[in-house]
Amino acid sequence: MIKTSSTGFRRRFTVAVVAALSLTLQGCGGGDDTVADGKPEIVVWNGYTDAQGKNFTALIDEYNQQHPDVHVTQLVSDTDHVLQKILTSVRGNTPPDIAYMYGSWSTNIAKMPKVVDLTEEVTQSGWDWNDFYPALRDAATVGDKVIGVPALVDNLAIVYNKKLFDEAHVAPPTPEWTWDDFRSASAKLTDSGKGQYGFTMPADTSETVAWHYLPMLWEAGGDVLNPDMTKAAFDSEAGVRSLTTLQQMAVTDKSVYLDTTNTTAVKLMNSGKIGMITTGPWDLATFTDIDYGVQIMPTYGGSDAGHQTVAGPDNWVVFDNGDKRKRAAVDFLKWVAAPEQVRRTSLATGDLPIRKSVGDDPAFVRQLDEKVSGTGVFVENLNNVKKSKPATAQYPEVATALGQAIVSVMLGRAEPGAALKDAAAVANTALDQK
Amino acid sequence: MTPVPVAPLDAAIDEVDTHPDDEPIAPPPRRLGIPFSPWHLVLIPITFLLLVPLLWMLITSLQTSAETQKFPPQLLPSQPRWHNYVDAWQAAPFGQFFLNSAMVTFVVLASNLVVCSLAGYAFARVKFLGRGALFVVLMATLMVPFQVTMIPVFLIVKWFGDNVWEGLGIDHLGALMLPNLATAFGIFFLRQFFQTVPVELEEAARVDGTSRLGLLFKIVLPLSLPALSTLAALTVLNSWNDFLWPLIVITSTDQMTVPLGMSYFQGAHVVQWPLLMAANVMSLLPMLLVFVVAQRYFVQSVASTGVKG
Amino acid sequence: MSRRERLTSRARSLRSTFLPTDTATGWALVGPGVLLIGAFGLLPVLLSLKLSFQKSDMLSDGTPWVGVDNYRKLVDDPLFAHAIKNTVVFTALFVPGTMLVGLLVAVALNRSLRFITLYRTAAYITMAVSTITQGIIFMWLTDRDYGLVNAALNEIGIGSQPFLASPSQALLVITAMTVWGWTGFTVIVYLAALQGVPAELHEAAAIDGAGPITRFRTITVPLLGPANLFLLIYLTINALQLFDEVYQTTRGGPLQATMVIVYYLWDRAFVQFDAGYAAAMAYSLFAVILVITAVQFRLSRRFTHYS
Repeated sequence: MIKTSSTGFRRRFTVAVVAALSLTLQGCGGGDDTVADGKPEIVVWNGYTDAQGKNFTALIDEYNQQHPDVHVTQLVSDTDHVLQKILTSVRGNTPPDIAYMYGSWSTNIAKMPKVVDLTEEVTQSGWDWNDFYPALRDAATVGDKVIGVPALVDNLAIVYNKKLFDEAHVAPPTPEWTWDDFRSASAKLTDSGKGQYGFTMPADTSETVAWHYLPMLWEAGGDVLNPDMTKAAFDSEAGVRSLTTLQQMAVTDKSVYLDTTNTTAVKLMNSGKIGMITTGPWDLATFTDIDYGVQIMPTYGGSDAGHQTVAGPDNWVVFDNGDKRKRAAVDFLKWVAAPEQVRRTSLATGDLPIRKSVGDDPAFVRQLDEKVSGTGVFVENLNNVKKSKPATAQYPEVATALGQAIVSVMLGRAEPGAALKDAAAVANTALDQK
Repeated sequence: MTPVPVAPLDAAIDEVDTHPDDEPIAPPPRRLGIPFSPWHLVLIPITFLLLVPLLWMLITSLQTSAETQKFPPQLLPSQPRWHNYVDAWQAAPFGQFFLNSAMVTFVVLASNLVVCSLAGYAFARVKFLGRGALFVVLMATLMVPFQVTMIPVFLIVKWFGDNVWEGLGIDHLGALMLPNLATAFGIFFLRQFFQTVPVELEEAARVDGTSRLGLLFKIVLPLSLPALSTLAALTVLNSWNDFLWPLIVITSTDQMTVPLGMSYFQGAHVVQWPLLMAANVMSLLPMLLVFVVAQRYFVQSVASTGVKG
Repeated sequence: MSRRERLTSRARSLRSTFLPTDTATGWALVGPGVLLIGAFGLLPVLLSLKLSFQKSDMLSDGTPWVGVDNYRKLVDDPLFAHAIKNTVVFTALFVPGTMLVGLLVAVALNRSLRFITLYRTAAYITMAVSTITQGIIFMWLTDRDYGLVNAALNEIGIGSQPFLASPSQALLVITAMTVWGWTGFTVIVYLAALQGVPAELHEAAAIDGAGPITRFRTITVPLLGPANLFLLIYLTINALQLFDEVYQTTRGGPLQATMVIVYYLWDRAFVQFDAGYAAAMAYSLFAVILVITAVQFRLSRRFTHYS
C-alpha cells in the first residue's frame, strides 16, 4: 500500500482547521460595542498619515482626556477608497460616526439619508460659521443643507525654481504678471536638450486636469456652468482664450511637460527639471532639493476677473447612529474646528488654516511660513478663492469631459474651439439627466 | 511498435517520473567548455527581469523620503536607511496585522485544499447528473468583477454575523474567511490536474474494492502533490494580499490585515514611499517562506507513490 | 508500452470518468463547495443582476425599477463600445503572450540545476508584488524623457517614444506590463503540469532520433493539454476583467486609449454614482465571458482526441 497515510493526512487537516477556528474565536472581537461603560464611543474614519496623523491622534487623546464622558477612536484607511467603504457600510447599516470625505463628493454624499444635516447646528453659538473661508462653506453646503464640517483647505499657486530662473536670466514671477509673461518665461526656461521644461500640467483623465485649469478659465472671465447649472458655459470666448494659452505653451512653445501619471511632475520639479508648477501647499515639503519660491498665479490682461485660484476643500461628514453618538460626534468636531485647534493643527502639519481669523493673523502667517517656507503666500492666496467648482452631482462627468478637451488640445490633437464645443455637448447630455 | 511484456498497470506506473528531486541530472556534454550548465546563462537574465520590481522595492525601502522624490529615480541610496523597517513596523500595530493575516490565510488555505479537492475530484472522475451545468454555474462566479458583487457579499456576510455567529460577521476575521473558503478557481484548477492522473490506477484500485473517497485520498491526491502545492501557494498569495474585501469589511484597527496596514503610509496627497515599501518587503517574507516550502513538492517523487502490483 | 500506447492511455485518463453514473457520491463530494460558492459567489451575482434593472446611486434610499433601460443605454453608449474594443484587443494579445512566455520560462525552470530553487522562487515572488509597485516601475521605465527603455532606444537609433502618454501606444504598454505581472502565475501552473510529463517518453523518442524541439512539440505540448486549457480559460476570464493595472497607471487615458470595461464600470459606479448602469455593464460582460469560455471548452474537447 502507499506509504502516505491518507487517514493521518485527513485527521491532521481537520485538527488544524478546528484549531484555527477556535483560535480565531478567541482572538476575535472588535467594533461591536458602541456604548462601552454607558458612554458613547464614536469612531472617526480618516486617511491621515505622518504629521497629519500624529497631530490628529494627539487631538483625539487630548479630547478624550478632557471629556471623560465620551470615547473617540479612529480608523486609518486610505481616503481614495473610503467612498467605497462608506457606501458599503451605509448599505449594511454599519457606518462610522465621522468620516473624512473629499469635497468633490459632497453633492452626492448629501443624498444619503444617514448623513446628518448640520444646518441648524452650525448657526448655534460657538461655531462662528462665517469664520470659515467661503470655499469651505461652499463645499460643505449642498443646496441649503450643510452636510459637513470643514476639515482641510488648500489652493493652487505657482511654485518656481529660483535657480533655473537665475540661469535663464528671467525675472521671477510677481503678483503683477499676466499669462503672457508666464508664457514667455516658460518658453525661456525650456531646454529640450537637457530635458528641462518651463511648466507642467497634469494630463491624466481625472478631475485633476480640469481642477488645475479652472483658475485660468475664471481669470479669463469664464465659468464652468451657467448659474442654474443646467448647461455648460466653458466653451465661451473666455474658455477658448484660456485654453489657447495652454495650447500655445504646450504645442507651439513645447514648454509644458504633460504629466500623465500625476506623480512624475512633482519629482521632476524636485530634481530641478521643471521651472514652474502650479500646485498646493502639500507639495512644499517634497521640494527638498531645490530652492523654491511661491507666487500667486498671473492674471489675464484685459479681464476684470483679477486673481483667481481654486481650492480643494474637504469635509468631515457626520453619520446618524442615534442621538447620543450624533451629539458626541458633533461636539468633537466643534472642538477640532475651533480657532485654537485650527491654529495648532496648521502649525503642526503645514496645512493651511481653515478659519479666516487665523489666516489673517500676521504673526501666525509668519510662524507658519517659518515652518514651511512659502506657505504664507498660500494663506494669503486663500483670499483669491472667489469661486468654487459647481456643486452639482454631475460635476465629475462635466470635469472629465472638460479634462479630455484640455488634454487633447495640449497633445496637439484638437483646436480649443472645437474641443470645448465637443466637451460641452457631452457635459450637457450629462446635465440633462439630472 | 515494440511489444513490451508488462501488464498495463505497471506500464502506467512507469510513466511516473523516476528522478528523485534532489538528484542532479548528469551534466551535459561539455561542448561549450564552461564549468556550469548553459541554462544558467538563460535563467539569470530572466530571473533578473522578473525580480526588477522587487529590487526596486528594496532600494526604495532603504531611502529617505526626500530621495524618493527624484526623477529619474536615484538607484542607490547614499546611506541605506535600515531604520525605515523599524519605523514602518512601529507606525501601526503590524504584529497584530501579521497575526490576523496569518490566521485568515491558514483557515482559507486548509478549507480550499479540502473542499476543492473533493469537488475537483468529483468533476474530474465522477459521472453525476447535472455535472456539466453545475460546473458552468460555478465558473460563472469568476466572471463578474468584485466591484459589482461586493455590496451583496457584504450584506450576506453581515447576515451571517447577525444570525449565525458573531465571529463570522462584519468587522471580524471570520468575515474575511467566509467568502473565500472555496473558490471556483481552486475547483477548476484541481479538476484539470486530477484528470491527468492515470485512470488505470484508479480503476485497478476500484476493482480491489476501494471506495471513491479512498481513491481520492490514496491514489489521486498523493500523485497530485505538485498541483496541490501549487494551489496552496496561489491560495496563500491571494488571501494574504487581499485588499479590497478587508477594506470594506474591517472597521476596527485590531482586526486589520497586513494590506490594510499599508494604508498607514498612503495619505491623500503624500505617500510615504520608503515606509510603504519597507512594509511591503516585510509582508513578502512569509510568502517567500511558504513558497520555498511548497516548491519542494513541485517535483514528483517516486518514494511517495510506490504503488506496485 | 509504446509511446503511442502511452499517449492513448493519457488521453483516456483525461476524458475518463468511470463506473456507472454515481449521482449521490458526486453531489456529496461537490456539496461543501457548492454551498460555499453558492452563498458567497452565486447569490451576490444574482443580486447584482437585480441591480442592473434598477436605477441606483447607492446613496439615496430609493432604487426605482427601470427594466431594461440600462441595457438599452449600453447599446447606444460609444464609450462602452470603445471600452469593449480596447478590452478585446488587450485580451487577444495578453492571453497568448503570457502563455507563451510562461511556458518558455517554465521549461527553463523544469530541471535540476544548482540554484533552481532560487530561480523558481523568483518567479513566484513576482506574483507577490502589488500592482501599485508594478505600475510605478513601468511608468518610470517607459517615461518619455527619463525612462530606461527610451534611453536604450535612443542608443540604437530609434527616437524616444511617448509610451503611456500616447493614445496609440498606451494599451500596448499596459499589455506588456500585465504580461510581466502574470508570468509568475503561468510559470507556476506550467511547472506543476510539466512534472507530469514522464522522462521516459522523452528518452524513448530521443533514442528514436527525435530532436529536442520535435520532442517538445509532439510529447510535451499535447500532455500539457489540461494546463493549457486551464490557463487559456482562466487568463481570458481575467483579461476581460482588467482593472487594477489601468487604475494604477493611466486611469483609462490618455484620451480613453486604455479605457477598459471594468474600469469604465467602476468609474460609473463609484465616481458617477450610477450603480445600476455599472451592473448592466457587468452583466453584459459576464454573458460574453460565459460564451467565450463555453466555446473554449468545446474546442478543447475536439483537440484532445488522439487518432
